[in-house]
Amino acid sequence: MRLLRKLLKKLINTPRNNHAQQPPGFFYMFNAGRLKRHSPTITSVLLISAALLLLGGCAGTAKPIAQSDTNNVDPYESFNRTMFKFNDHLDDYIAKPISDAYLWVTPGIVKSGVTNFFSNLKDINVVLNDHMQGKFGQGLEDTGRFLTNTTAGMLGLFDVASELGLKKHEEDFGQTLAVWGVPQGAYLVLPILGPTTARGLPGGIFDVAANPTSYVGMPVNLVSMLNTRANAEGALKFIDEAAIDPYVFTREAFLQNQRHLINDGKMDANVEVQPLEYDIDSDVDEKTTGNKAQKPAAVEKDGSENKETDKSLDNAVFALNKTSESMEEASAKLDNLKQKHKRRHHRAKAQRHKSALPPA
Amino acid sequence: MSLVKIMLKKIVFSFVLLLCLTVSQLCLAEEVSARQVVEDFQNELLAIMKEGKALGFKGRYDKLDVAVKKSHDLPKIARSVVGKQWEELSAEQQAKLEQVFSQLSVSAYAHNFKDYTGETFTFISEEEASRGGQVIHTNLHIPGEKDVKFDYWMKKKADDWRINNIIADGVSDFALKRSEYASVLSKEGFDALIAKITEKIDKYAAQ
Repeated sequence: MRLLRKLLKKLINTPRNNHAQQPPGFFYMFNAGRLKRHSPTITSVLLISAALLLLGGCAGTAKPIAQSDTNNVDPYESFNRTMFKFNDHLDDYIAKPISDAYLWVTPGIVKSGVTNFFSNLKDINVVLNDHMQGKFGQGLEDTGRFLTNTTAGMLGLFDVASELGLKKHEEDFGQTLAVWGVPQGAYLVLPILGPTTARGLPGGIFDVAANPTSYVGMPVNLVSMLNTRANAEGALKFIDEAAIDPYVFTREAFLQNQRHLINDGKMDANVEVQPLEYDIDSDVDEKTTGNKAQKPAAVEKDGSENKETDKSLDNAVFALNKTSESMEEASAKLDNLKQKHKRRHHRAKAQRHKSALPPA
Repeated sequence: MSLVKIMLKKIVFSFVLLLCLTVSQLCLAEEVSARQVVEDFQNELLAIMKEGKALGFKGRYDKLDVAVKKSHDLPKIARSVVGKQWEELSAEQQAKLEQVFSQLSVSAYAHNFKDYTGETFTFISEEEASRGGQVIHTNLHIPGEKDVKFDYWMKKKADDWRINNIIADGVSDFALKRSEYASVLSKEGFDALIAKITEKIDKYAAQ
């Protein structure tokens, strides 16, 4: 149990994706040390994924869970939206300012060195997952990549391998689970860690365990988080500019990109991503034939286990709502204080001015 | 004599007519392929990027307006992006949506492709898709960064191939917008959707 806790703690502490270009998978860091509050969520998520593993076989015949059919993949939308907002606040008030400062003071060569260093350590996990997915050729290539960058690339500070034509691959245990046939499960937004799925969660634990960065302690972890956030700057800016509903935008982009990575960029035969299926007439087809039922249902609603899960999720939503509110209050207070200070400053100045005048 | 003249005229006339018909037939046979439509658009985009700084947002917008409308089926995308809700909109609302959607699409191009830093597009492959569609796979190479895969989903509009959707590294622009719009429409309604899109357009223009 202690080991599990430790692992979970590591999971909370370490961002899982260092990829700069993709909108999804970046995200929020800086654990405030509230593991206790978070752990029910994580346990419940583990329960969901366990339930999914058991029920995976009958997913094909499962009834669609939501009557509103808005989204089978996101049954916990209200919870997730709260988390999303919470993470957004956390990013606005803590992560973004630090990251901006880092980007401003750090020369480009240092930044790319830091990125390369952590990316190189992640390659160990890539190699492991290559083999677990049966991609032995790619595994060999990635091993070469890691060895080249560790030696000629001076412990990974320089990405020499890419120059030599050994491209970086994106593999993680979440993808391996997908290749093994584990269904995706519900979309989840976790505090600090950001978007994931019921399948991505155990995947994340494995990835953290397979990353040397996890074992060296706080300062290195902090730099790794800072690097992740700094690399996500472009993606976050893009979302901010393009999204009319940033929550939905992030969810869709995250899930689609996951699918893309799982299929190694090959076209997916899955109806959901086949964009030519969107003609109005096909919409009608889908409605009348009830194609929706064929899509994997996210979560089964029966069983007391899930009721409990729902309850603990509700509790977590409540707690996070409160935290989010108090953060908003705190920021309002801060603004007030600033205003007051300004006013007092002005008044003092005026007073000084007055007293300097000769008495009438 | 005059009869012969009239006959000659008729013969010449019918020949000309025949010629016209064959030429137009030839023109039809030589239709532009889906791949050509994509490549033409990409070349135009790169050309606009190259003089992007000098053109400014307005200049890029005006040029792209022509290029995008020529190669993309914007009215159809706007219509299907709101799915079955389209039927429930009034004619006026439909026209409004089509108009702001096309503005948004062009503005997004003008904003995101503002200058040139050595980008190139390369054609990878083409394949048949369902319902007579075609997919053109291309790669966007940005120096110093990982390549981005751009897949163009093409469909015929009358006799011309048009871009219906673009998928960048597995993320479908259409699917993103569709989910977003559905969410806004169901929660806040049509006017809010238009207001939000207009806000984006203004922001793109301001930066």
